[in-house]
Amino acid sequence: MKNLFWLLFLISFSLNAQEKFTISGTITDEESNETLIGVNIIFPDIKTGTITNEYGFYSITLPVGVYDIKISYLSFLTIEQSVQLNENKTLNFKLQENIESLDEIVVKVDIEELNIKNPQMSVNALSISTIKQMPVVLGEVDVIKSITLLPGVTNAGENSSGFNVRGGAVDQNLILLDEATIFNSSHLFGLFSVFNPDAIKDIKLYKGGIPAKYGGRVSSVLDIYQKEGNSNSFKMNGGLGLISSRLLAEGPIKKERGSFLFGGRSSYAHLFLPIFDIDNVAYFYDLNTKLSYRLNERNNIYLSGYFGRDVFEIGDTFENTYGNSVLNFRWNHLFSSKLFSNLSLIYSDYDYDLKLNFVEFDWTSGIRNFNIKYDLKYYLNDKLKLEFGLNSIYYKFNPGDIKPTTESSGINPSKLTDKYAFENALYCDAEHKLSDNLSVYYGIRFSSFFRLGQDELNVYENDNPIIFNDDLQIYQKAEPIDTESFKRSEVIKDFFNIEPRLSLAYQLNETSSIKASYNRISQYLHLLSNTSSPTPLDVWAPSGKYIKPQLLDQIALGYFKNINETYALEFEGFYKTIKNRIDYVDGADLIANNAIEQVILNGKARAYGLEFLLRKNEGAFQGWIAYTLSKSEQQTAGRTPLETGINNGQWYNTAYDKTHDLSVTGIYNLNNKWSFSYNFLLQTGQPTTYPNTQYEYSGISIPSFDLRNANRLPLYHRLDISANYTPIPKKERRWKNNWVFGIYNIYNRKNAASITFRENRTTANNEAIRLSIFGIVPAVSYNFIF
Amino acid sequence: MNKIIYVLLIIFCFSCEDQIDVELNNAAPRLVIDASINWVKGTTGNQQRIKLSLSAPYFDTNVPPANNAIVEITDSSNNVFIFTENNDTGIYQNSTFIPIIDEIYTLNIIYDGEVYTANETLMSVSPIEYVEQINDGGFSGEETELKAFYTDPEEEENYYFFEFASNVNAIPSLEVYEDRFTNGNQVFGFYTDENLEAGDVVVIRNHGVSKQFYEFMFILLQQNSEGGGGPFETQPATVRGNCINTTNSDNFPFGYFRLSEVDEFVYTIE
Repeated sequence: MKNLFWLLFLISFSLNAQEKFTISGTITDEESNETLIGVNIIFPDIKTGTITNEYGFYSITLPVGVYDIKISYLSFLTIEQSVQLNENKTLNFKLQENIESLDEIVVKVDIEELNIKNPQMSVNALSISTIKQMPVVLGEVDVIKSITLLPGVTNAGENSSGFNVRGGAVDQNLILLDEATIFNSSHLFGLFSVFNPDAIKDIKLYKGGIPAKYGGRVSSVLDIYQKEGNSNSFKMNGGLGLISSRLLAEGPIKKERGSFLFGGRSSYAHLFLPIFDIDNVAYFYDLNTKLSYRLNERNNIYLSGYFGRDVFEIGDTFENTYGNSVLNFRWNHLFSSKLFSNLSLIYSDYDYDLKLNFVEFDWTSGIRNFNIKYDLKYYLNDKLKLEFGLNSIYYKFNPGDIKPTTESSGINPSKLTDKYAFENALYCDAEHKLSDNLSVYYGIRFSSFFRLGQDELNVYENDNPIIFNDDLQIYQKAEPIDTESFKRSEVIKDFFNIEPRLSLAYQLNETSSIKASYNRISQYLHLLSNTSSPTPLDVWAPSGKYIKPQLLDQIALGYFKNINETYALEFEGFYKTIKNRIDYVDGADLIANNAIEQVILNGKARAYGLEFLLRKNEGAFQGWIAYTLSKSEQQTAGRTPLETGINNGQWYNTAYDKTHDLSVTGIYNLNNKWSFSYNFLLQTGQPTTYPNTQYEYSGISIPSFDLRNANRLPLYHRLDISANYTPIPKKERRWKNNWVFGIYNIYNRKNAASITFRENRTTANNEAIRLSIFGIVPAVSYNFIF
Repeated sequence: MNKIIYVLLIIFCFSCEDQIDVELNNAAPRLVIDASINWVKGTTGNQQRIKLSLSAPYFDTNVPPANNAIVEITDSSNNVFIFTENNDTGIYQNSTFIPIIDEIYTLNIIYDGEVYTANETLMSVSPIEYVEQINDGGFSGEETELKAFYTDPEEEENYYFFEFASNVNAIPSLEVYEDRFTNGNQVFGFYTDENLEAGDVVVIRNHGVSKQFYEFMFILLQQNSEGGGGPFETQPATVRGNCINTTNSDNFPFGYFRLSEVDEFVYTIE
C-alpha cells in the first residue's frame, strides 16, 4: 500500500514538465458573505475542475494558457468567465442566489459530470432547504430523521433519534459538528435530534469509501458544518412550532471580515402543563454560537460553541438532565496558494445527571475530551491533491458517581472508577486523476489508542473475567482475585492499527461511471447499551485489557448514471465485516457496573446489501425513490467448544436489521407561494424477541423467550404530507415569512414501536401490549426572516 | 426506559398502548420447579411445600401440574425430608423439615424418568422494622407508596427478595435488592400501587437469599414487562435457575431451589 502510494506520487511529479500556475480563492454567497462548501469550479475546455473545501477555499494548478472557468453551485447563478493564466492568481467569487428558479436540486450527489468522475462514492448530502421542506412529525425539522430517508440509512424506531448506516450500530456513527464529536444526538429520549436546522450550513453523510482523515467510528461519518454568520448585514430568522421555537441572529462584527451567529432553540410544551395541573416537566434547549474573523488574506479564525440540555422531571420523584457541550477554536492558515491548513482545538463533553428522590440519590456520569486536529490540504496540480494531518484526543470517562441527596438516604456514596485514554492518528489522503477516465482516492491512517493508568483495575484468574457454568449452561461473573492501580501517565494497554482506504472511479461514458471502494476503520470506544436505541444513560467504554477495538472492513461497488438532465440513478452494493463487536450475556446489567468485562463477550458482525436511488433533480416536481435490500447480523460464539456463546453461538439479526427499506420523497412547487411535499416509508418490521412459553414461579407468570431477535414487529409504513405557503407581499419588504402545514402518518397507521408481554395485575392473564408512538399528527409552524 | 417514554408521550398526548393478538411459537413443555423453602421468623419451619408444574403456551390461562414425581430434600447430616403430593395438585408437602441457617441442602426430584437436582444454602434475613406510607407517590402522583424499612448488616454481602401481596391484585409484586450501594444502612423495600385504599391489607415478606438467587431473580423479573422496562432493562432470554437435569441436560427445568429465612409484616393501609 505504502509503496504504491509513493509510486503514484512520483508519477505525478514526473509529469510536471510544463510551466504551471495556480488559481485559488474563496467562494462566498454574495448576500451574506457566507463561504460555500462544495462549489464546482470547472474548466470545460480541458474537462477538469475542483470543488471548494469545508472553508470555501479552492486551489487548482494548471499549465499556462487561457481558460474558460465556470463556477456552479446548486440554487445559485452560474458564473462563467475567461482567465488568462500566466501567473499565480487569486480569484474570489461571490455567487448570487437564483431566486427565480424552482429547480432546487434535492439530493446533491453527482449532479455535475465532475462528480461522475469523482471516486468518492457512498456519500449523500441533503441541502438544508430540502430538509426544511420535508414533512416531519410535530413540524419539527429534524436533520437525523431526514437522512433516514436516504438509501442505506434507517433508524431503530420512531422514538429513536439515532440512526443506523448500512446495518451498523448507532454508536458506530461519527457525528461531527464543526469538527467536534457529538456523543448523543438526541433530545427528549430520541424524539428529536440536537441540530438546530437554522444554524446549519452543510450536511454530508459518508456511508462507505470513508477518507483517511476520518476515523474512530466504523460505520459512517455525518459531517455537519454550522454557518459562520452574515458578515454583510444584520439578519434574524426564526420559527414558531408546536413543540419548540427557534431564533437565530447573525451579523457583522466588522463588515466583510468578521461575523457572529447566535442561535437558540427551546421547547415550550411544558410551559402549558401547569394549566392542566401536571407536575411533570420535559423540555430541551440548544444554543449555537459562532464568531468568525478574517485576520488577513491568509488567516481566518473561528470560535464556535454548542450547548444543549434536556430537562425531564416527573413530579418530585425523578429529575433528569443531560446534554452535550462543545467549544471549538479553529484557525485556517494559507501557507501558499497551494497549501491550505486548518488547526482545530476542541473541548467537548457529555454529561448525564439523574436524581431519584424517592431513593434519595443523585447519579452523574459523563465523558470529556480534548481534541487537537491539524489538517493540511496540498493542491499539487489539477491531477493530484493531498490531504494529510494528525488528530489526538484525550478522554476522561466518568462511568458513574452516586451520591446520597439527604442525610437519611440509605445510599452510600460510591464512585465507579474513572477511566482515561489517549487516541492518536496520522493520515494521508490523495485524490489522484490517473487518466481522463480513471480517478482514485487512496489514503492511509495510522491510528493508535493508549489506555492510560487508572485506579483499581480488576485482575482475574487466567485473565478471564467471565466464566461459563457448564452445569447450568450460563455465563457467570468471575470474582476478581486482585486489583491493580496505575499512574495516570502509565500506559496499561495499547493498540495500533493501519487503516488503508481506497476508492476508484472509472468513467464509462459522458453520463455513467462505475466506482469501487475498500476501507478499513478501527473504533476504540464502545457504547454500552442493552436496548436497540440509544438512551441518554448509555455509557461509553474505552478499549483496554478486556475490550478489544472494533475493526471494520468494507467493500462497495457502485454504478452511477445521469439518465438525462432530469433523472439520475445510483446503484450500490456493499459488504462489511466487523471484528470485536461486544455482545452482552443474558441478563447483563450495564448500569453502575464497575466491571463491564464480567458481562460481555467478544463477537463479530457483518452486513451486506444493495442500495438503489433514483432522483428527479429538475422541474416543478422533484424527489427521489430510495430502496435498500440488506441484512445485518451478529454472532458471538463460545470461546471453547463447551461454551454456548450468545444465542447458542448462532448468527442472529441485529436489532436494526431491516430487510426491505423503501422511502419515496417528493416535492412539488406549484408556484412561488405554494409547495407541497410528501414522504412514504415502508420497512420490514424491526427484529424483536417474543416468548415461546410461560411458566408459573413464585406466584407470577414468567414468559420464556425464543432466541434473540428471532421474531419481527409488524410491517412499518406511513405517509406524511406537508404544504409550504410563502406569502408574497405586493411591495418588497424586509420581513419574509412562510407557513408549514403538515400531517404526519396521514392514514393513522398504528405502527408498533414495541410489543411487550405482561401478566395483567388484576386478571392474572397474559397479554401482548403494542406501543405505537405517533398516530396521525397534524402540525403547523411559522418561520420568518428579517 | 419505556416508562419514561410513556410519560413523555403522555405529556405530548400522542402515544397509544393497546392490547393486540400476536401469534407465537410454542416450545415443548418443561418441568417447572418452584421449590421455595420459607422459614418464617417465630415459627418452627417444619411445614414446607414444593410446587411442580409444566410450562405451557404463553396465552394459556392455566399451567398443568406435574404429577407423580418423587421429591426429597437432604441436609448435610443426611436427614432426608420426603415431600408427598397432595392429590393431583402438583403440590408436594412435608411436615418434618428442619431449617438451619447457613445449612446446605440438596433437592432431588425424579419426574417422568429423569433426575433433577439442586444445592442451595438457607439464608438469614433482617427483620422489617416499620412501614412508611405515602399517598401522593409514583409517576402519576396518585399512587400509594409503601416503604418497608430494614437494616442491612455491615459485615457481609446481603441479598433480599421482597414479596408484596395485597387483596386488590391477583398477583404479588416481587422485588430483589442487593446491598452494593447501601451496605450497613437502614434501607427499604419499595412498593407502589394506584388501586390501594384505606383498609386494604398488604402482606410484606422479606426473604434472605443467596447471590445466585438474586442474579436469577433480577433477570427473571425483567422478563415480565411489568417488572422490567426500566432504563436498566436487559435482553429477554431463557432464564436458568440452579436446578440441573442430570439425566438429559438439554431438557433443563425452569424455576429455582431456594431456602430463606423470612420476616413477614402485615400492613393495613391507612
